[in-house]
Amino acid sequence: MFKIFLDHQWKEFWRGRNKAGSLAAKIFMMIIYIYFLLIALGVGFFMKGFLKEIFPAAQPVAIFNGLVLYYFLVDFLLRVQLQELPTMSVQPYLTLNIRKKTIINFLNGKTLLNFFNLMPLIIFLPFCFTEIASVHGTPAMLGYIVSILSLTVFNNFLLVYVKRKATGNIMLIAIGVLVVLILGALDYFGVISISDFSNLAFRSITKQPALALIFTAAAAVIYSINYKYLYNNLYTEEMVKKEAEKTATDYPFLNRFGEVGQLAALELKLILRHKRSKSAIMMSFAFVLYGFFFYRAELLNNNQFSLMLFAAIFMTGIFQIAYGQYMFAWQSAHFDGLMANKINFKNFIKAKFLLFTIAATLVTMLTFLYGFMSWKLIVLHFVVFLYNIGFGAVIVLFFANYNKKRLDLSKGGAFNWQGVGATQWIMSIPLIVIPFLIYMPFGMANEPFWGLTAIGLFGLVTLSLREMWVNLLTKLFAKQRYKIAEGFRE
Amino acid sequence: MLLEVQNLKKTYGNRTVVDIPSLQINQGETVGLVGNNGAGKTTLFRMILDLIRPTEGRVLSNGEDVSKSDQWKSYTGSFIDEAFVIEYLTPEEYFDFIGQINHLSRATIQERLNKFKDVFHDEILNRGKYIRDLSKGNKNKVGIAGAMLINPQLLILDEPFANLDPSTQIRLKNLIRESRAQDVTMFISSHDLNHVTEVCDRIVILEKGLVVKDLATNQDTLKELESYFSA
Repeated sequence: MFKIFLDHQWKEFWRGRNKAGSLAAKIFMMIIYIYFLLIALGVGFFMKGFLKEIFPAAQPVAIFNGLVLYYFLVDFLLRVQLQELPTMSVQPYLTLNIRKKTIINFLNGKTLLNFFNLMPLIIFLPFCFTEIASVHGTPAMLGYIVSILSLTVFNNFLLVYVKRKATGNIMLIAIGVLVVLILGALDYFGVISISDFSNLAFRSITKQPALALIFTAAAAVIYSINYKYLYNNLYTEEMVKKEAEKTATDYPFLNRFGEVGQLAALELKLILRHKRSKSAIMMSFAFVLYGFFFYRAELLNNNQFSLMLFAAIFMTGIFQIAYGQYMFAWQSAHFDGLMANKINFKNFIKAKFLLFTIAATLVTMLTFLYGFMSWKLIVLHFVVFLYNIGFGAVIVLFFANYNKKRLDLSKGGAFNWQGVGATQWIMSIPLIVIPFLIYMPFGMANEPFWGLTAIGLFGLVTLSLREMWVNLLTKLFAKQRYKIAEGFRE
Repeated sequence: MLLEVQNLKKTYGNRTVVDIPSLQINQGETVGLVGNNGAGKTTLFRMILDLIRPTEGRVLSNGEDVSKSDQWKSYTGSFIDEAFVIEYLTPEEYFDFIGQINHLSRATIQERLNKFKDVFHDEILNRGKYIRDLSKGNKNKVGIAGAMLINPQLLILDEPFANLDPSTQIRLKNLIRESRAQDVTMFISSHDLNHVTEVCDRIVILEKGLVVKDLATNQDTLKELESYFSA
């Protein structure tokens, strides 16, 4: 049965509409994965050397012990952002003579085929085979290997569970991430020590290798929670829920923009009335915290904006990136209707710009709170904001014309993970690279503020040319719309 | 002549799905389109609505090429499938939206919806549901009402009777007859030979993309259609 499923999925991929696009994305990701795997391989095989180099005074094994749980904590955070859930539309299989168990085990098992599950094995296992085995003997080595495998599986299924739940409930992801961050902070400020705990755990395993089975048990528990969750939710979820009364809404603010405003209001309702788009937006707001990772006192004092540019573009432009990726596709279910109605294409494009501008303005205002760290950040965010609404929006809408893949919002959240994860960020590369290129010559000439001015000016100029962009994009859209509509009809 | 199809051809690879050298529909005519699955009915409709680019030829609406000008959209109402309604809106919001983009006042929308009271049968308006939560038949009703809301000169409906309950089918036929009395031009496809012969002045049979028959309706038409399709 698994073979048939795999075969169907294989066909689904190769026969899909956007094959070229998703293939390119896959290859790109593959290259990145290989790069990291090679690094991991290096780290894995030369672990002892590295540990000796960095911590000359300590025992390599003790340091290694302290590292393992740290790794898995960070691993979880990375997974939240990057690990994609496998998609399979289960609907057609449910009524066939296939046991539910088989479908669920397939859905779960497939998540194991992931880059993130390979990394820890490559990093940690060589050290176990060589160092642990020679210092503490074979039973201890087996204990380590079982622990690391179990922790990997545990992290994998914890992530899968959180993501599955979170398609319906974004709070859960926020809480999960928060817990991990608090743990990290407590460790950082010395309230607790994760490395001590990790060390303790693995020293116990060295003495009593069977203790490793505790990790295995934890992995088994989280697997069975996943299993149960899927088992109960393989039904179309709407059947259980009692729907609340729906009322008509109006956005008076948007009415003043005429037809453009009406179209923007329509899209705003789309965003607010679908889980999928709502969580994309919620995630965007979570990204506003990115600055705390990137903005550091020394960078600010030395005016090293090039290192902070990325975070600034990301935070102020996140709506464009996260929502704009699927521009038009969000409307795939009623694209034909929009086209057959009396809607001016120019207004249609303008409505997108309006939406981008409103969202970017709101988010940018929020990020001005970083002004408490330094006034420079307000300048940085402001010029990047100008760039985002001036040129960033154009790039996003340009690429949107080549996205012909239907996005099915009508399907419930639980089995609809289409496009969640790393691949979705690829489109944003040019968006992020351009301001860097503008800034770089000034940065190298040690004129950081001129660099920012240049970005801001570029933004202003492109913004003042908006009418021209709208015309160009309208022309492109008028040409592309047949292909887009055809793709969306699938 | 309101609608004119000239040398219209659509091919996918080497398969021709529509090939119509000429088809003309006059102002005020009600034309039924019948044909088995795969005959090219929906593709033809989509080309008339400029949703699919023809491989060859063109469609003229009031003398203007539909792919070159948007003018036709202001007098054409259409409903092909669910992709024509915006499912995350409530029916009220949807009608408002259609009204707004066609510059109709709320009062006008209200008044025009009154006509659909029987068709809606209290299952559409003020139910506190999004369109996506309605049944298939009710979604169709919303789509058809949306198409007729702008008082179109040209109305294009793809299988409007499908999924409707018997009472609604009869009410819809009455609505179509009313529109006919008001000189609305209609192009309606259906698999139900009874319905089309009842409401249409003219029946076009499509087979494998070709117009094989084009008949003015009379008392023998139903028989003729039945014998054609049973052959």
